[in-house]
Amino acid sequence: MKKKSLLTTALAVLMASTMLAGCGGGSGSTGQETSATAAANEDTDNGDAKDTVAAGGKKEVVIWDYFETDAQKEMMETLIRDFNASQDEYVASHVYVPFTDYEKQLTLGIASGELPDLVILDGCSMASFIALGLFGDISDVDIKWDEYLEGPMESTMMDGKHYGIPFATNCTALYYNKDLFDAAGVDYPDENTTWEQFREMAKTLTKDGVYGFGNAATNTDEGTFQCLQWIYTAGGSYTDIVSGADALTLMQEMIAEGSWTKEVVNWTQSDVNNNFIAGNLAMQQNGPWQIAGIEANAPDLSYGVTVLPKFDENSSRATSILGGENMGVVKKDDMNGATAFLQYYDQTEVMVKAMKTYGSFPPKTAAAQDSYWTDDPIQKAFIQQLETSIPRGPSPSWPSYSAAIQQGIQETMTSAKTPQQAAEDTQKAVDAIQ
Amino acid sequence: MKKKGKSSAKSYIGVCFAIPAVIYMMVFVGYPMIQNLILSLKNVNVYTFALPENQNFVGLSNYIELFTGGNSILLKSIFNTLIFTIGSIFFQFIIGFGLALLFSKQFPGCSFFRGVTMISWLLPVTVAGLLFKFMFASSGGIINQFLMGLNIIKQPMEWLLEPVSAMMASIVANIWIGIPFNMMLLITGLTTIPADVYESSKLDGANKFQTLFKITIPMIKPAIMSVLTLGFVYTFKVFDLVWVMTKGGPVNSTELVSTYAYRLSFEEFQFSKGAASANVLFLILLMVGVFYIKLINEEEEVI
Repeated sequence: MKKKSLLTTALAVLMASTMLAGCGGGSGSTGQETSATAAANEDTDNGDAKDTVAAGGKKEVVIWDYFETDAQKEMMETLIRDFNASQDEYVASHVYVPFTDYEKQLTLGIASGELPDLVILDGCSMASFIALGLFGDISDVDIKWDEYLEGPMESTMMDGKHYGIPFATNCTALYYNKDLFDAAGVDYPDENTTWEQFREMAKTLTKDGVYGFGNAATNTDEGTFQCLQWIYTAGGSYTDIVSGADALTLMQEMIAEGSWTKEVVNWTQSDVNNNFIAGNLAMQQNGPWQIAGIEANAPDLSYGVTVLPKFDENSSRATSILGGENMGVVKKDDMNGATAFLQYYDQTEVMVKAMKTYGSFPPKTAAAQDSYWTDDPIQKAFIQQLETSIPRGPSPSWPSYSAAIQQGIQETMTSAKTPQQAAEDTQKAVDAIQ
Repeated sequence: MKKKGKSSAKSYIGVCFAIPAVIYMMVFVGYPMIQNLILSLKNVNVYTFALPENQNFVGLSNYIELFTGGNSILLKSIFNTLIFTIGSIFFQFIIGFGLALLFSKQFPGCSFFRGVTMISWLLPVTVAGLLFKFMFASSGGIINQFLMGLNIIKQPMEWLLEPVSAMMASIVANIWIGIPFNMMLLITGLTTIPADVYESSKLDGANKFQTLFKITIPMIKPAIMSVLTLGFVYTFKVFDLVWVMTKGGPVNSTELVSTYAYRLSFEEFQFSKGAASANVLFLILLMVGVFYIKLINEEEEVI
């Protein structure tokens, strides 16, 4: 009989732990919160698949985003409020879904039908979701397609059809801490700086707990986003790693010298920026969305931004990788609400206003020439870098490419393999992707 | 238990009792399992997901692709999972057993401290994972601060950046989480030992070690076997802890079968391959499960 009670306890413990595990797994999806921008839509579910008719006979347009910073939220709220005020047919609202869960929620949404009308997502994952059948063809909608920058536009298309428009665009460039450069008596980097000079700078600046350079090389696409540009600048591409092997050599040698901190293999872009603000890094690779944070948290920090270092004297400007978001229209019978929002955003002045708050650039050639950006030396460096930026992929298999490339980079950075070996192995992994 | 079907009415009632369990199992366990098996034999990926007409049965080719190749991440993750499981269970069991022996004695505050030990088990695993991630951080992590303060190390250790130490750190975190589970089951086991057995052994002049190895351990052997097999099953399928702490990195050194299956399905959209690796995980656990059921049946036969 006592053995029975032992068994009972075992089962009870088993059940309890299963429930606990369930809680752990589910916590992500409960993190969604509806931000009711319109007063009328309090009664609706987030991301309802049906076309809900809100009070006053207006149709609802639900948008999913993963915006977390105050500036991003403010931009989104203002944009939606202005859209709702601009016409009386639709009422837009947005739902926050945490970035770490975003693609999982979208994938599960395709299976369950629990989807919004519009999705704002990372430009590099759009191709995958077009292939997965999430987005509808909106090529017939009246949008000024040819005004957009080519790279971002390409990432919203497949087989010549349009599935959305670029929302924001950006790229990474080189931030430098002027005080640390002055103290070490080193000239600031500029658009003529080569890898060799960059390496010398970083070496000289590495002392007293300060590292010369750091970027984000974490084991996710965030790492690929920052590290892939080095491979392109060396002459490679996402399908041709071997031609860019010099980049891997530079990384491994600078990490061995201590001037490129090894901690980057666990760093996200926020980690990099926090270390730059704290004065632990003399130079960082990062994007324009960090400017607002730097100015808020470290108003006294004296820093500059320039384009990323080029390969050698004879080569042209370094390539950077395009970041930013796209807006995709979810495939439904009635996509009019979603396309109305796109047409609203398609207006240059709307786009420019939103992007000033957001800390990225409007994805239109003309819109980015606003004096707000061109008159500011820091913003101007990003506009310059944007000219030689290329998108990731686009390929529905981008996540597999990204994982393979980032593994090669981590193997190089942790010295698990020689740069040549890592390049060859990564090439094999990349070639194996269909 | 061995007396089967004494009367047909009795066995009829028995079947009635079993029906809800059978339905539950079929709907919530059987159906997803069969679906998963079918998925793993097809070629569903990012290109074919939206086009059911292109989803074909491809036999075992997903399994073959996952297992072959010099760089097979699945083989590596199975190996990692074994290291992770054995490393975790070994220490969880020893520490849990020690604590069980301690808390089976009566002393002031005993039940309070026993309750406090449960905290690590009640904490959501993601929270525990974050805590350990901060503790093992290279700069500013409390473990480095502590070791440097004691002059054991001069430079901060890169715990989560080196393959071996990242695995060690994940195991340490998992040990901390798993101790109370081991302790509770073993305490329950210890209470099944009648006090008179100890009394007579004392009269016969047995010392502490003899009591432990000749009486306590043999008498709670069923509890020990349950703890070890259940512990194996739980640890083998750990996902959230490692996902939060290292995401399987650096360079797949802490990639477990569970994190790899998730990565394949939800990050690379290779749904069939993800299903295949989840099935590999399931097969391994099934073997352990069969072993466990056999064990339970033997116990019941003893009764």
